[in-house]
Amino acid sequence: MILSLLLQDATANTTSYMIAGFAIIFGVMLIYLISLLVRQRNLQRDLEVLQDIQEDEK
Amino acid sequence: MESKPRLLTILDVVTVVLLLIATYMVFFYAPQEAVMGDVQRVFYFHVAAGWVGMLSFLVAAVAGIFYLVKKDHKWDIVGLAAVEIGIVFAFINIVTGSIWARPIWNTWWTWDPRLTTASVMLLIYLAYLMLRQGIEDPDRRARFGAVYAIVGFLSVPLTYFSARIFRTIHPIVIGSGDPGAQGAFDMTPLMLRTFMFSLLTFTFIFVDLLWRRIRLGRKADQVEQLRLKTME
Repeated sequence: MILSLLLQDATANTTSYMIAGFAIIFGVMLIYLISLLVRQRNLQRDLEVLQDIQEDEK
Repeated sequence: MESKPRLLTILDVVTVVLLLIATYMVFFYAPQEAVMGDVQRVFYFHVAAGWVGMLSFLVAAVAGIFYLVKKDHKWDIVGLAAVEIGIVFAFINIVTGSIWARPIWNTWWTWDPRLTTASVMLLIYLAYLMLRQGIEDPDRRARFGAVYAIVGFLSVPLTYFSARIFRTIHPIVIGSGDPGAQGAFDMTPLMLRTFMFSLLTFTFIFVDLLWRRIRLGRKADQVEQLRLKTME
């Protein structure tokens, strides 16, 4: 009983910092992945518009 | 629309599975560190993100050398892709380090040699992106990017060795660190396995993202060339 109390005191309660850390890790990676997909989609749209313009000019 | 290569789809699946396993290991396989508590679990992905950041900048420097030698535009696309990914992961590395530092060092930030060199490294590569934006001519932009990536890479070994050369409070988990380091701990075999698996997982994430970013760069290049052609 006493030993478990001593051990409890020795380990700091840092769970909230851990949650914040993993929120940053997964959040930033997800945002970057979404940015890649959005940019890919926008470029595809631009490419199609430019190809249409070229075909009209012909 | 350009179809997605089958190998990239396989890589996507493998990477997601590895990330799920690594996350499981971090939370349920690796034991809780006796003094620091749960925040120590951030260490596995914090170091892995730092590894990916440095690996990205190495790839950018190598791509820069290849561009200068071969004058092939594809190396500029690789270099830019690597720098962008490097910035994302170097940012994750610094921010998670700061979150870890709050309960362990009792401060969000200190101008320790490791923290300072890591921040300077990130700023150097942010400047790379900003300066590129200001150059219109694609050849000049690629040449500038190549030289900058090679010279900028000097900041990477400086950051890596800063915790070993200078007096620092930043812990070194592998190898011997400064006796003044705060927050150092000995890894148990389960912790070491989790750590190595996290490094492997983040390497897969890097390859997957690099491939995707290169595809994006190629498409951007295609659009730029078509736009110039249309304007003529």
